[in-house]
Amino acid sequence: MCHESPRADAPSAPRDAAARPSAGRLPRSTGTRPCDNPAVVEAASLPHARLGAHRPAVLPLAASLVGVAIALLALIADLHHPGGESAAAIVLHVAGGLTYVLVGGAAWLRRPHNRTGVLMVTVGLAWFVQDLEHLTAPLPYALGDYFFIAYFGLLGHLVVAFPSGRLETRTDRVVVTAAYLWALGGNLFTHVLFAPAGSTELLVLHRDATQYAIFDAIQQGLNATFAVIVVGLVAVHYVRGTPPARRALGPAVWASGPMLLAAIVLSLPGLVGSTPVLSSIVPFATPVALASLPGAFVLGLLLSRLSVADVGHLVVELGASPPQERIRDALAETLHDPSLAVAFQVPDREGWVDAEGMPINLPDGRSARAITVLERGGEAVAALIHDRSLENDPTLVAAVAGAAALAIENERLRADILVRLAEVRESRARLVTVADQERRRLERDLHDGAQQRLVALALTLSRAAERLNDGHEGTGELLHDGERQLQKALEELRRLAAGIRPAVLSDAGLGAALESLAENAPLPVTLRQAVDRRLPDSVEAAAYFAVCEALTNAAKHAHATQVTITASLKDGRLVVAVSDDGVGGAEFGGGSGLSGLVDRITALDGGLTLDSPEGSGTRVEFELPCA
Amino acid sequence: MRVILADDSVLLREGLARMLVESGFEVVAQVGDAEALLTTVDADPPDVCIVDIRMPPTNTTEGLQAALHLRVHHPKVAVLVLSQYVETRYAMELLAQGVDGVGYLLKDRVGDVAELLAALRSVVAGRSVIDPTVVSRLVGRRRQADPMETLTAREREVLEQMAEGRSNRAIGERLFLSPKTVEAHVSAIFSKLGIEDTADDNRRVLSVLTWLRGDGGEAQA
Repeated sequence: MCHESPRADAPSAPRDAAARPSAGRLPRSTGTRPCDNPAVVEAASLPHARLGAHRPAVLPLAASLVGVAIALLALIADLHHPGGESAAAIVLHVAGGLTYVLVGGAAWLRRPHNRTGVLMVTVGLAWFVQDLEHLTAPLPYALGDYFFIAYFGLLGHLVVAFPSGRLETRTDRVVVTAAYLWALGGNLFTHVLFAPAGSTELLVLHRDATQYAIFDAIQQGLNATFAVIVVGLVAVHYVRGTPPARRALGPAVWASGPMLLAAIVLSLPGLVGSTPVLSSIVPFATPVALASLPGAFVLGLLLSRLSVADVGHLVVELGASPPQERIRDALAETLHDPSLAVAFQVPDREGWVDAEGMPINLPDGRSARAITVLERGGEAVAALIHDRSLENDPTLVAAVAGAAALAIENERLRADILVRLAEVRESRARLVTVADQERRRLERDLHDGAQQRLVALALTLSRAAERLNDGHEGTGELLHDGERQLQKALEELRRLAAGIRPAVLSDAGLGAALESLAENAPLPVTLRQAVDRRLPDSVEAAAYFAVCEALTNAAKHAHATQVTITASLKDGRLVVAVSDDGVGGAEFGGGSGLSGLVDRITALDGGLTLDSPEGSGTRVEFELPCA
Repeated sequence: MRVILADDSVLLREGLARMLVESGFEVVAQVGDAEALLTTVDADPPDVCIVDIRMPPTNTTEGLQAALHLRVHHPKVAVLVLSQYVETRYAMELLAQGVDGVGYLLKDRVGDVAELLAALRSVVAGRSVIDPTVVSRLVGRRRQADPMETLTAREREVLEQMAEGRSNRAIGERLFLSPKTVEAHVSAIFSKLGIEDTADDNRRVLSVLTWLRGDGGEAQA
């Protein structure tokens, strides 16, 4: 089980309960921790129609509206700002921020549990902070100046946390914290300390153009450095990622190039001095680079939609020919996750099993694997074990799971049958073993109890007879009768005990027991055996009694005049054949005595064949695993 | 004659001991398992040990293993193994360590005091004794193209007596035949069955039993 404390971005229980869609609504969650909050999909229905319905939509809508309003205000303020940029640059600038607000709002609406949307909207809002500078009042101007690059920290956060909205590693968190500190504190610090001569800021300690230029250059350099670090982290995520994780990381990777380029371009004037070319590029570089991330994000969503469209193909494929392995393979292909596995829950059994009915463990919260649980009527029936990055595309997973529901259900029933079959086999083998142990116990009881007492009694009788004098001839005769009867009883007891389970089988093994059997058989037996080691008790007993039954059949029903027994070990299996020259025509069952043989062999997972053509003898061959 | 009794059934052991004492034997020790038997024999070897084949701790063939051990380490101590099983394999195992002064009797024989005492005296005299039931199982064994069928009824009787460990003289006494006649039967049997003759009466038991066990001459894998 997962014991880690809930993270800020993992839904806590109450919130989760509130957000949980009513039965049949799909899909439930995104960005959840695999162990305590797996994504849940109702297996019986297709998810498309209901996606995104009834979500708490007020907040994203409100934030987006506020963002649009601010963008409009910024547009008006910028256009009226004396000596500002060209109209084209201003429109581009506003459009850059607006893209974040709109795309972020949409993402927020779609997946309220994924922070990416919120972060994106916030980046858009923060972007417009710099436009406060264009208001002439001192306070807005100062705020705009102090928090000019506040969006920078948020942007770093967004890119590093992409696409889950979570900061997965310690390095991620350190870099993002540093970016925030720098974007908010560092800029504030510089602008409070220094300002170009003649600026109208409220609180400036040094108005010195030279010092300001130096610190401005340092600041630009640090900005570029942070951009490089953030892009570097994205590269690390990409390199370390699984194939599905890399796919999900796509937009961040695509946007990395333009953003890195923009950061360098922006830092150039401060570092190498302004040139006319640079001056004309700078106003366009940032908004264009900025917009590349939401642009790539929208593109990624479109591609994901295309993947969902693949689901149709999946349905066709599964419908056409659903051989067992193909279901997993088809799901893996559609989800672009080669490592995908499917687990099932079968009735009357704890835990999960695979398609072959073997128990498997679901990954826990610390694993890089996540699960999507498929439900039917509120009960978990199956689980897709997939790469955690697929959690960022729950629509696709839900669509795929829904589409494959029927095939998965078939697979589950098959797994259920396999589980039950294995249980039946085990219980049959257990019964055989128990019966054999019981036989052994009986044999011991007879030998160690009854037989010893009878022998002692015979001895006593014998001694009594010896002591009698000639005068008691009648009594002596009676005693001798008693002795003879006792000898008969002992003989029968011995035979009974040997029939229950011959001691030689326990003591010396199958080979010796077969020799003894051949010696004692009522017809000539040729024994060719090469079993030179001890086998498991249950195997030895099953083989011995199976041969007994075949011999009995040969003598009683087949009227054979001779029998050949062969026994050998091949590849960890005991192979035994009993053939006679009798009348043939034997069948398993049908009172031939061979049905017991079938039961013994199959109970231990062995196989057997019967070849008994009318008039041409009978050959029973069986093999038993004895690894 | 000094005897050690090894049997885990106290009832039977006590009965046997009393019978032996009454018959003039000296029972020097009674033990309940194979380990105690070996220790006791090591400390003071008797003339003969009567050993139950089945003793603790596993109650399978501890007695047989102990007897084999005694054959090797105390060749002068005769051993009579009492067995619950008509298994020729066990008898053969016992003889394989040397045929002098060993016996394999079914436990049932204990009820026939005369026969038991005779067997005891035989092994102490250095002969071998094999239980008639074990022998008749071998002799009665069904074979293909059975050379046994070429034997006369008398020859068959002589063969059984040989397999039980008797000398020509003893066979003659038992079947009321002259030693010469017994000798003639023996050599006829050996030539009919293709057994190599041996002058040593004791060794003869082993070769006869080996032939009988060998599926009418066919070697077993």
